[in-house]
Parts: sequence; structure tokens; C-alpha cells
Amino acid sequence: MERPRRTCAETCLELLSLQIVHYYAGQNQAPLAASTEAIGFRVGRQLAERCTWDRPRLVDQLDVMKFICKEFWIELFQKQVDNLRTNHRGTFVLKDANFRWLSKLSSDLPAPEKADATEQNAGPVANDSMPSRPAANEAAQDYLHLPCAIIRGALTHLGLPCTVSADASALPACDFTINIRAG
Amino acid sequence: MVLVCASVVGRANNPLYFRSFLPGGDAEILKFQYIVHCALDAVEEKVTAPQRRSGAAVESYLGLLYPTEDYRVYGYISNTRIKLMLIVDDHMARDEEMRQVFKKFHQAYVDAASNPFYTANTPLTSKRFDSTVTAMLTPRT
Repeated sequence: MERPRRTCAETCLELLSLQIVHYYAGQNQAPLAASTEAIGFRVGRQLAERCTWDRPRLVDQLDVMKFICKEFWIELFQKQVDNLRTNHRGTFVLKDANFRWLSKLSSDLPAPEKADATEQNAGPVANDSMPSRPAANEAAQDYLHLPCAIIRGALTHLGLPCTVSADASALPACDFTINIRAG
Repeated sequence: MVLVCASVVGRANNPLYFRSFLPGGDAEILKFQYIVHCALDAVEEKVTAPQRRSGAAVESYLGLLYPTEDYRVYGYISNTRIKLMLIVDDHMARDEEMRQVFKKFHQAYVDAASNPFYTANTPLTSKRFDSTVTAMLTPRT
């Protein structure tokens, strides 16, 4: 007896995650990072439970990481991770060349203290976009707490306690660095 | 094949759910809990022992864990290290049938665990989960 899969428009998910960030940024009681981390961690746990339901057992670290990069990423972000690198000592870097949850974030933000920006409007684009990379990454960090926490929740529940951080200096690509705690 | 007891045990071997369907009262329940507890050792053995044989996918269904004189205990472990155990009192329980039952049991567990108000690693109190498991345990006519 197969249960019919329920589907939901991706826009709803995008808008929801934007609104979560907006809401918690406006709250005074808890900092944005902590609140969204908590939400993401729980969601990650439950998603890991659901996604591994009918799959063969994942026996070691590499199996779990491959599961995250393929099936889990497809469930969440509708595509696979494009590149997985590891130093074989517990650090993994997942590179997603086109991170969907940040697809609406502009990758061309002006740098904060650029006094003569108006005069250089006609200048070459390359000159303008170089200093805006760190600014884009700053802005994206608010929106990256949620995906990082989801990944952390899933990995912890699959037996790999870890820390996850994200680097969005090269939007729309996003790198996730996972450090698995030993022991 | 009659299922007499279903149990869910968490990753730290903490009991999360226990349901028996035998009109025996407290003594029976205690006996089943003891059987489940002993079977946990067998689970550990099965989970840590097998090294990867070429081609064989390691699966979640662990098979017969522990036969006692009246009952047999079957086990199943999920990827999140949650253990599901079923005690049956029939000596001719087929593997295929047990796998089907475990799949349904696991599905019911996943549904219960996906409740946003459920705190992980605490006893399961979902009524829907309880009624699904009871329906599984009720002998089919």
C-alpha cells in the first residue's frame, strides 16, 4: 500500500524560510542564529528519520556523507551536491554550484564603505564585484543558519555529531564545511 | 503468526515504547520487557559484527534475535539507530512476513517521530502510533 507523496510549491518553502529569518531578526528575546538553529536542528533530525526509512543501512562515515550529498540534498534542494572533498580526518566540504535557497539573493551587493560608488557606476563590472563578495557572504549568513542546522540535525541523528558552517562568497555557489567531532 | 509484543528502543538503549497484547497482566509484561532487554545484546552483536561482504547490502531487518521456549524475538534497526523489536509466539514465522510488518512498524514510528511537538529520545505518547501498533498486534481472523 503505497502512500501518495504530497507535494508543495517550492516558492512556499522559499518564502517561509525568508520569513523565518525576518521574524527572528526582529525579535528581541533570542538571537536569530540560535532560534533558526533550533528549528533547523529539529527539522534535520526528523527529515533524516523520514528519508532513511526504506534504505539499506549506512555503515560508515563515508556512506552517511554520500547519503547526505545525494538523497538528502535532493529531498531538500532538488539537486545533488556537485562536489564533495574530504581530508579523511573528519572534515568534509560540500560544494553546491547553484544553491537554490539563495537563488533569490543578489550576488552583486555594493560594498558597505564605497564612497565613490556613484562615479564608478560606468566602470567595468569586474572591478565592482570583487569587493562585494564579502558583503554578499555577510548578508547570506543570516539565511544560511537554517540549512546548516538542518544538515547538522540530520548528521547528528545519523550518528555523526558535527559542526556545519557555510561560505557563500561565490554566489550562487555555496560551500558547506562539515567538521565531524571525533569520539 | 501472532505478535504478542512490540517495542521501540532508542539509540542509547533507552526504552521509547512498549506494548503487549496478551491478557496476562503485569507478570507477562515484565517477562516481555526482560526478553526485549536481553535481545538488545543480540542486536549489538548483529550490528557490530558483519564486515562488508562483497555485494551484500547491509539491511535493516536483523532477523531472529533470540528464541526462548515459548517466544521468538525479531529485530530491526533503522539508520538512526532506533531499534524495533517484535515478539511472536509462532514457530513458523516467515522472514518475508516479518519484513513487511517491520516496514509498517517503522513507517508508523517515522510518522510519530515527525510530530513537531515530539521531543526526540523521549517515550512516544502518540495515540495514533499506539492504535496503529495495536492494530498490528491484533490477531488477524
